[in-house]
Amino acid sequence: MRWQFSNDAPIYTQLIRQIKVGIVSGGFPPGERLPSVRDLATEAGVNPNTMQRALMELERDGLVYSQRTAGRFVTEDKAMIETAKRGLAERHIKTFLEAMLNLGFQQEEIVSLLRQETGEEETNHVSSGM
Amino acid sequence: MSVLECKDLCKSFGHAQALDHVSLAVEPGRIVGLLGPNGSGKTTLIKLANGLLTPSSGEITVCGMAPGRESHGLVSYLPERTSIPTWMTTTQLLDFYGDFYSDFRRDAAEEMLAHLNIQSRQRIKQMSKGTREKVQLIMVMSRAAKLYLLDEPIGGVDPATRDYILSTIIGNYDPEAAVVISTHLISDVEKVLDEVIFINQGRLVLQSSVDDIREEKGMSVDELFREVFKC
Amino acid sequence: MLRKLLKHEFRATGRIMLPLYLILLVTSFGANLSARGLLNTQYRILDVLGVLLVMAFGIAICAVCVMSMVVMVQRFYKNLLQDEGYVMLTLPVSVHQHIWSKLIVSAVWFALTLGMVILASCIVAFDIDFIKYFFQGLGELFGELRHVEAYYAINGTAIALEFVVLCFLGCCAMCLMFYAALAVGHSFANHKMAWSVAWFFIFQFAINILGSAVIIFADATGLDYFLTNYIHFGFMAGIHAAMIFMIICVVVYGAVFYGVTTFFLKKRLNLE
Repeated sequence: MRWQFSNDAPIYTQLIRQIKVGIVSGGFPPGERLPSVRDLATEAGVNPNTMQRALMELERDGLVYSQRTAGRFVTEDKAMIETAKRGLAERHIKTFLEAMLNLGFQQEEIVSLLRQETGEEETNHVSSGM
Repeated sequence: MSVLECKDLCKSFGHAQALDHVSLAVEPGRIVGLLGPNGSGKTTLIKLANGLLTPSSGEITVCGMAPGRESHGLVSYLPERTSIPTWMTTTQLLDFYGDFYSDFRRDAAEEMLAHLNIQSRQRIKQMSKGTREKVQLIMVMSRAAKLYLLDEPIGGVDPATRDYILSTIIGNYDPEAAVVISTHLISDVEKVLDEVIFINQGRLVLQSSVDDIREEKGMSVDELFREVFKC
Repeated sequence: MLRKLLKHEFRATGRIMLPLYLILLVTSFGANLSARGLLNTQYRILDVLGVLLVMAFGIAICAVCVMSMVVMVQRFYKNLLQDEGYVMLTLPVSVHQHIWSKLIVSAVWFALTLGMVILASCIVAFDIDFIKYFFQGLGELFGELRHVEAYYAINGTAIALEFVVLCFLGCCAMCLMFYAALAVGHSFANHKMAWSVAWFFIFQFAINILGSAVIIFADATGLDYFLTNYIHFGFMAGIHAAMIFMIICVVVYGAVFYGVTTFFLKKRLNLE
């Protein structure tokens, strides 16, 4: 997994998003045990406390659960992962739409442009490789 | 209890005021960046905490005691330049640290040295400057200390080494301990910090958590630093 | 902790001193060989070789003596006042222990150097007529001295012992003077080495002045007169008293330099 950080948001919120992407995309499959906080932090090059905070938030959302001795695991609840996937997609679409509106496109134009780009196929929620 | 605490700490060299009424506290379990331009007093502060200098006035305590023989056993210090005895072989260096520090984790150190392909009979003298720096960092991070004082650990090294150094620090410090990293290369360490302390011309400018800075000001510590210390 | 310091100190210095001792012993064998047969042969080459071997021995003796001094000064300077000082002075060890470890190790090397020089000289002298005669002569001289001793009822052994103690303590005090000069000199911001040398001469000068002052004082107040005439020191007792007085003086100025060194290492340290 590749970790990248921008300057505008707190590190832990960026970590949350990136771990979510990992879970949704299958980088961390459902039910799998996550590496230890320190290992994850070392891999991402971030402070272990920050990583801990991000995982706690994910735990609160239910995407991750911890077992007292065995460590942290990705949820097995497929529906929940699907919801998270939706959530991420909606955010991407929102920013995409904002950018397009800023450029002066109308809603219909945007949809037709998307159709063209993806080859006339029925495309609903797939964000086209932004 | 604070691991490192300064109260009205002043240090002057002749007429030059290196530290001017600095008061701050570092709590256990935190990684703190001691940030400031060159010559702002970072090294002076760290040397004072190590008892290598004595305060002109004010107070500095490490785990509640004045720097000295006892506090030295709790602090793991990486000086700004490599200072391990160069005549020693790696094994002798491990003996040395093991003899003097009861918290030295020799097996951890050996593992890290093996990872760098450093032979046990190799003398420090025969190593390149970069390797010596890494070896000293390994010695410092192999201790289960209460406070790690790292003076410019990433100054003047290439980006790959920088990553190695930072991951060595994160991967090895004791979670109960505090880590103080002094540097002026902020963008490189920002991700690993809980808290930052800005000092300039011997004065404390700001002490804040990194998340707070990003959340409240909407900018990275690096950007804030550039703004605060604009020339 | 002092024991651990000593262990690493011996490791650091032994790697220089032990090979030097070995060289000294080897050259002393060479000198012995040349004195036995190589000098005054018909072959010039062998003569030259003989001279070279004797010269090598002379150089080795000088080298060992000089190096034991150099190692003493250099260990203190490099290990505590240069870069290594960052590591050494942040060990969980007191400044006193640092100074004692340096002092003890230097003293041991001084004593060993003396021992090795005597041993090497014995090796050179081994089984050679000339030197046998020399020692015979020396023995006769000592024999004569023993008569003198009997005559004056001198306790020669005690005086010799006092002399050895004085020399040994003198060496230690001298070490401490070097340490104090370095510690004071290195508390300055610039020209640390120049200041150290300057302070060494200042200390030396101060001791000379004080020494002369004591003599002048004794002379002016008639203290010596008092001592010799009222306490009725015999000649021997006078020598003993003088020896013990000198030993006390050496210990006192050693202690002063020890105090100066600890103060400056603790309070005025300025590593750069």
